[in-house]
Amino acid sequence: MAYNLGIPKLDDLIGDIRGGTNIMMIGPPMSGKEDLINIIAYRGLVDRDAAVIVSTREPGNNVLEWFERRNLNISMDRIGIVDCVTRTLGFAAPDTENIKMASSPVDLTGIGVKISQFFEHFWMEMQLRETRLCINSLSTILMYSNLQTVFRFLHVFTGRIKAANALGVYVIEEGMHDAQTIVTLKQLFDGMIEIREGDDGYQIRVVGLTPKPTPWFDYEVNGVDVVLRG
Amino acid sequence: MIETGIPKLDGYLHGGVPEGRSLVYYTYPGVAGDVFGMQTICHATSNGILGVYVASSTDPQMIRDQFSEFGWATEDYNGRFIVVDAFSGLIGADSQERYVVSDPEDVNSLTQCIKKVMEEMSEPGIIVFESLSTIMDLCGESETLDALEEWSQYAMLYDHALVYNFTAWPYSEETLLHVKENVCNSVISVGGITGDVIFGQYFGVLKVDWTDIARKSTLFKVLKPGGIRAYIPKILVTGPFDAGKSTFVHALSNRAISVDRLGTTIALDHGHVDRKGFAADIFGTPGQERFDPIVKLLSGEAMGIFLLLDSTNTTDFKRGKRMLEITESFGLPVVIVANKQDMSEALTPEEIRRELDMPANVQIMPAVAATGEGVFEAFETLVDMVMEVD
Repeated sequence: MAYNLGIPKLDDLIGDIRGGTNIMMIGPPMSGKEDLINIIAYRGLVDRDAAVIVSTREPGNNVLEWFERRNLNISMDRIGIVDCVTRTLGFAAPDTENIKMASSPVDLTGIGVKISQFFEHFWMEMQLRETRLCINSLSTILMYSNLQTVFRFLHVFTGRIKAANALGVYVIEEGMHDAQTIVTLKQLFDGMIEIREGDDGYQIRVVGLTPKPTPWFDYEVNGVDVVLRG
Repeated sequence: MIETGIPKLDGYLHGGVPEGRSLVYYTYPGVAGDVFGMQTICHATSNGILGVYVASSTDPQMIRDQFSEFGWATEDYNGRFIVVDAFSGLIGADSQERYVVSDPEDVNSLTQCIKKVMEEMSEPGIIVFESLSTIMDLCGESETLDALEEWSQYAMLYDHALVYNFTAWPYSEETLLHVKENVCNSVISVGGITGDVIFGQYFGVLKVDWTDIARKSTLFKVLKPGGIRAYIPKILVTGPFDAGKSTFVHALSNRAISVDRLGTTIALDHGHVDRKGFAADIFGTPGQERFDPIVKLLSGEAMGIFLLLDSTNTTDFKRGKRMLEITESFGLPVVIVANKQDMSEALTPEEIRRELDMPANVQIMPAVAATGEGVFEAFETLVDMVMEVD
């Protein structure tokens, strides 16, 4: 099983990403990480993969709308969203086909159960063998739980990604956590998508999936296309 | 004894949890173990027992909504359902609950509140912790384990039963061992059958100090509404042509579908049964000989078998026995359903036993699938047989 990110130039440089890979995406706030992670999920849907998105920042409906707004020709029954926001806002929203509600970002047990349920559904009932797990973002989870707790949670689920030959992408806000936190979490990942502020917008590169890091590229998100320059 | 309300578990525990004792649902990450605690408290309170739910990762109002999603209306319990709010303090929200833990990250604050609740409960009741692991994460492992001893002693003093949901994240070996061996009078393991993903869930008793351990595992499924159901993934319904297999599957099932042509099953019948705490998926085979390869295909991994016979048609009995052979069901629980008992020429189950030359321990049950008579009795008999297999 092999995956790609759906970012053409980067995909050419890093080649196929093997199944079971876990990637941290780290970058400053407002740098378009949310679009990027959704595009990675979208790329999987185009390839007939399934996508499980854990949303700790936006209600699940907003995430679903991101895909709907773009009029993408994809099958929505292959998207599963674990919504950690709606119920903390006091809305008693029930689970739907696409969205399962977790109580709060504190409820790691519940989040884990919902992720497992989507994986089981896609694997057993829909016979989909390639799934992408996108967690947006670990930073919110770290606001409510300590590093050790989040590490334990990730230790389990990065392991599940490997067992299922899936692809895991986990967003972290740069500048929100101390260096020790980032170093601790890095141990769990096979590679990183790094984003930084450049002279003319933001830049992106991939580290750890090839012997040497890729060069930095200026980038721009246009719909579901990530346009790299340089 | 306070029943847990979990199908089969109260049998394993010889009635439930005694007053003053404790139980932990020791759940592997990713498995829906939290529903066990929810079902336990709702079963107890609906039976008139005072119940306290310690919320540590969910807003109390959301908890009530979650319960109602399972069909458990906490407002109907006439004040016997109390929430200790150990969550709102964590996110700086106001609380409407009578019992609020001011600092959920301080185990002493939690202990103080729990002791107060135990003292003020007007009678022995049950206290269920939404997530012991969350408390451990917030307050520290050793601090929480120490507090558990204090809570247990206090609960014994007031004859309250304590029930914990615990997710076995990769804590230290020492902590996990302590939870499994020392913390509670009983440990129920709630696990997942894992391959590439978790594709099945089970529970079993790891430890109990008030009765002998039943070394059995029970598969389960979580239904909304409904809660935990002991689950049998595959029960096969087979038998000769026109024995009434499809009618039986439809009579038994909450929902069912058949792949048939001109009224005869040509591929399979499938139904889902949810009854008295048990759920099962039922697969009906075609009966004509030309479909025998399908029968063999469908019978793989079946956990129990119904052999449907038309009680008026003795010439097909031999074919019925042959179909049992095709399913390679040797050693599996089998119930023979003597269908069409409403017909005047129907043989009785005992007459059928003689015709088939079946030993006395083989269950042959009378039924009229067309009216549903005897159908559920047959189901309950087979479920008991499947669940009794170690």
